[in-house]
Amino acid sequence: MKKSLLFLTAFAALSIQSALAQGEVADSLDMDAADFTFTESQLDEDADVAQTISNVQGEDPYLSEVGYAFSAMRFKVRALDNQYNQTYINGLMMMDTERGMFNYSSVGGLNEATRAKEGIGFGQFAGYGLSDVGGAQSINMRASQIYAGNKLTVSATNRNYVGRVMFTHGTGFNKNGWAFAGSLSYRGAPMGWGNVPGTFYNSFGYFLAAQKRFNENHDLSLVTYGTPTERAQQGASTEEAYALANSHYYNPNWGYQGGKKRNARVVQSFDPTAILTWDWKSDDGSKKLTTSAGFHYALYSSSALGWSGDAYDPRPDYYKNLPSSIFNVYDPTKNNPSYLEENSFFMDQWQDLYDFWKADKANRQINWDRMYFVNRQNGGESLYYQERRHNDQMSTGLSSTFNHSWSPTGKYAVGVQLSTSKGMHYKTMADLLGGEYFTDVDKFAANDHGIKSDEAQNDLRNPNRKIYVGDKFGYNYNITVNKARAWGQVEKNLSNWYLALGGNIDGTTIEREGLMQNGCYKDYSYGKSGAAKFLGGAAKAAVAWAPNANHRLALSASVASRAPEARNAFVAPRVQNNFVNNLSNEDLYNVDFGYKFNFGKFSGKVGGYYARFMNGVEQTAYYNDQQSCFTYLTMTGIDRQHYGVEMFLNYQVTQNLSFHLLGNWGEAQYINNPLAQVNPEGSDARQIRELNSLKNPITDADDQLRVIADGMRVGGTPLTAFSLGLNYNINYWYFELSLNYYDRVYISYSPYQRLNKTYLNAGKWYMGEGENGTSFTEDTRKVVEEDGGLLYSADGVLLASYAKTQEKFRGNVMLDGSIGKSLRLKHGRMLNINLNLTNISNNKKMKTGGYEQNRDDSYYKEEGDIYTKGEDRAYKFTKNSKYYYAFPFNFFLNVGLKF
Amino acid sequence: MKKIYLLLGLALSGSLLTSCLDNVDEPDVQDFIITSPTSIGKTNTTIYELKQKFSNEIGTNNTFKKVEENIIVEGVVVGNDDGGNLYQTLIIRSIDGETAGDEKDQCIEIGIRNTWISPYFQRGQRIKINLNGLWIGNYSKTPKIGTPYYTSAGNKRLGPMLLQNCATDIELVGKPDANAPELMPIDCTEGEGLSWLANSGNQGFMNSPRLVTVKGTIDEVQGNAAKRAAMGELSGEKEPLPKIFSPKELYDAGYAVDRTLSIAGKSQLKVTLRTSTQNDISYLPIPADERSYTGILTYYSGWQLQLRHKNDIVPAIEE
Repeated sequence: MKKSLLFLTAFAALSIQSALAQGEVADSLDMDAADFTFTESQLDEDADVAQTISNVQGEDPYLSEVGYAFSAMRFKVRALDNQYNQTYINGLMMMDTERGMFNYSSVGGLNEATRAKEGIGFGQFAGYGLSDVGGAQSINMRASQIYAGNKLTVSATNRNYVGRVMFTHGTGFNKNGWAFAGSLSYRGAPMGWGNVPGTFYNSFGYFLAAQKRFNENHDLSLVTYGTPTERAQQGASTEEAYALANSHYYNPNWGYQGGKKRNARVVQSFDPTAILTWDWKSDDGSKKLTTSAGFHYALYSSSALGWSGDAYDPRPDYYKNLPSSIFNVYDPTKNNPSYLEENSFFMDQWQDLYDFWKADKANRQINWDRMYFVNRQNGGESLYYQERRHNDQMSTGLSSTFNHSWSPTGKYAVGVQLSTSKGMHYKTMADLLGGEYFTDVDKFAANDHGIKSDEAQNDLRNPNRKIYVGDKFGYNYNITVNKARAWGQVEKNLSNWYLALGGNIDGTTIEREGLMQNGCYKDYSYGKSGAAKFLGGAAKAAVAWAPNANHRLALSASVASRAPEARNAFVAPRVQNNFVNNLSNEDLYNVDFGYKFNFGKFSGKVGGYYARFMNGVEQTAYYNDQQSCFTYLTMTGIDRQHYGVEMFLNYQVTQNLSFHLLGNWGEAQYINNPLAQVNPEGSDARQIRELNSLKNPITDADDQLRVIADGMRVGGTPLTAFSLGLNYNINYWYFELSLNYYDRVYISYSPYQRLNKTYLNAGKWYMGEGENGTSFTEDTRKVVEEDGGLLYSADGVLLASYAKTQEKFRGNVMLDGSIGKSLRLKHGRMLNINLNLTNISNNKKMKTGGYEQNRDDSYYKEEGDIYTKGEDRAYKFTKNSKYYYAFPFNFFLNVGLKF
Repeated sequence: MKKIYLLLGLALSGSLLTSCLDNVDEPDVQDFIITSPTSIGKTNTTIYELKQKFSNEIGTNNTFKKVEENIIVEGVVVGNDDGGNLYQTLIIRSIDGETAGDEKDQCIEIGIRNTWISPYFQRGQRIKINLNGLWIGNYSKTPKIGTPYYTSAGNKRLGPMLLQNCATDIELVGKPDANAPELMPIDCTEGEGLSWLANSGNQGFMNSPRLVTVKGTIDEVQGNAAKRAAMGELSGEKEPLPKIFSPKELYDAGYAVDRTLSIAGKSQLKVTLRTSTQNDISYLPIPADERSYTGILTYYSGWQLQLRHKNDIVPAIEE
């Protein structure tokens, strides 16, 4: 007992230490934080796009299979982001309160610790909380749930990491009522060993748990875990860059420094977490009370190159470095003999750049040596540097849930969930790249207002501060989010019927506190913004009819009102306290239908769903190359609809052989043209006002800035996915083969390219003709349907707005397989060997996602207050989106020994 | 229990020891160059001879021609973008005559497509350039080596060459020499220099560009003019007071602002002082008193001076 107490004390100390020892705080936009699902193929993913694949495992056969089967293509169930799918650990909701998502990487490599989990789909009810539109999952990490004994797993793969080792030990309950468990893991790949060039992976994981069963009624459990990770990232690039590099896995994020490879974008993350849980149950087990308190300190940072003054953009695939920036070979009006005879210099330069890219791998990667050289020539001040953008978060949560089965056919649950979090966002100087210091001024504002101006200062309270490695600079702010929720549900079985009702009410406050006084926003950047308050709630009902054990029809519906995510709440969170205009709750309406059946050898489930989201808020942040500054574009009042059908059919041919068909056809569309707000950093109030103002081109009346988004699809996930699979097992051998078909993957659209103001500036607006001034030629309609545009009547009434066509990737097929063997060894030991093969046909042309560049093609010549369209640039931003491709053939060999 | 302690110990040490893979030693970049690492050949033409040879292309406004032979010229960098006022531009000078300032003391502009080229081509650096494959001519009457491009208005002009061309077409000769005679501007503040400036016969491409020092006062800040804020033709906004060299409100189609320098000792002689917006000089307050200004002198419809750096104003302006 003494030893146990000693352990518990040491353990608690470790939990707290691991969280607090990281006390230094940091900040920045989390634009490229990757989330992870539990499927192994996802745990090792590392792309700049957020992976938000719902992973609900449980009774629903479709949901149980789909997360794993389609993970190679980053499939999102119902095209929903992770924020619509709740995750609980030991009864405590673990969603990041700023982003509304669970960070799967926080448990990466801790497979054994997270093995005990229960998931539900939207239409189902669970005892730990009212699930959201994307369902919910609960992970039980209590020590008693860990396999009593030892398990050693060794893995080899050729994905983002190449090797993994995990060791887990569980004691089960001893005679004194104590159970202990622990797990350690390491996943790694040295630089250049992974599937993507120029990347490395280095991740350690720990999990420790203790549980004391005081008696049949009371249990106390403490768990702590964390996965300190450092990994280099892959960047998306354009088809042109991929072609020049002769690889769809070209990675512009790395380059040579003194002959050695170095990646500019390196993520460091560590989410130490501790959860204390008290479980009580009544003598007859009909009543249960679970109360959990948790502490979580997320440390996330990502490095990136920065540059100041007129230093040339150091990114190797910066558009001006590409041959297409010189000459558009796809333009027949220019790529013809007579034009080229007059303008031979175009092809000469195009060829020079082409040859440069092809001549040497180093030419198409970051030139670190050049940055060092430039800095050393600059008299001490760095023109190029590497910054580290931190998004840390300290959060605490408390939840208590009471479940009561008042009869064999009825039960109810009520609960409260409280959480508070402080997000700390700042950037630090990671490397001065051979320089001695950097001055903390905003280079863009300095250009506009002069280096001596207040506007140039990132922090007026510390003007012209010299920055050295490790110093904070640029921006520094906290976001505090408080949430409280009370919920309840009741379930009743009546003969062949099942009825359930549930609801919740919640309150959210969001507040920013600026720790720097930005010179452009001196009156509203430093100090507190004041708290924005949102009251939300949800009601949900389900009915099911099961005439017998083989058939079950279920229908559920819900309405909900959700507070906006804090990450979207501020117009330019790095530099301003101002909230987004029209910030309001998002309203959700959802209906879900399912039929589960079993006809002997043939079983499965088919279902359908319709979800409508109204008044949503989304924010994109990007480097605006046109205005040379970091820019936020926020859309409010977004309406979307998601609907589709899903199925899982299984045919058991023999006891050993079965075939299955897994399928999804869905739609996820924006259905209106939301209001937009643009906020470039470094711009003063007048410039921002100008950017957000819009005039009717005919009447000159004021109009509202909008994104023409109607008809756009949610990008980065297949909306059509089917998998035909075969399973065979004999004598503890397991074989699985699946042929997967993916289609209707859309690119993530650029709101900037579809701003009505962008259309107007580019001349993509048309005035009606004819008697009523409302007629348009077929040609005009064709043009606006393809390129987007605005149709006005002759008297200036906006008749129709067309969004530019969104790119849809070609459908593709991927063949996956696995083979496994379980061996029972002496002394009760068991050996499992499993080999997963993904993309066996080595299809390298499957795009998993990508995004359009936030620029348009025109080049404007300013004359007075009138913008006129100048000569088009050769480079077409609208035709040069950036893409990610699914990994080529890859394997995952897993050997597990239980002893 | 022992295993749990072991795991605890390993967890602690593992947390501490997850070593950083993102460590690469600082490179030795003392000899870093973007130019040709090998010789591009012997100099076979002076800048003076080059201007003579291509006098048609240089002498007619905005004309240019591709060079199809190995013409290698040499000069010392006397102007670059280290002050931000010259954009994508090097000025090289070669004194091939008997004295500085004579007809064989010539400069020419080289355009290079990069926004910060001064680290690679510091002032005082002697370079050789092989014109084969490049274009020669003029941009708005300033003799130039580069490559054509189309402006936003659709006009074909002689612009900068690709930075990548430096690796094959340009060679550094020795190290930068801060005391190189080419860096000494031609004194046009008095005497012969001042007379030369006043002589309209010197207004031609053979004398453009030229590194000079002039002395004078700026008209826009003399007397009542100092209090009259001008209105920008393109921006439609008034410049701020007190006046600065290049307020963004007054930018023109070339994103620069012209001020008028009245030359000391020749009250009728004016030189346009042209400063681009958004650089260190732009925001300097214009001094009302007489100063000397060193910069690159060119001729279009009158003499025009572009300062290279704020240090080109003497005495220096107090900021």
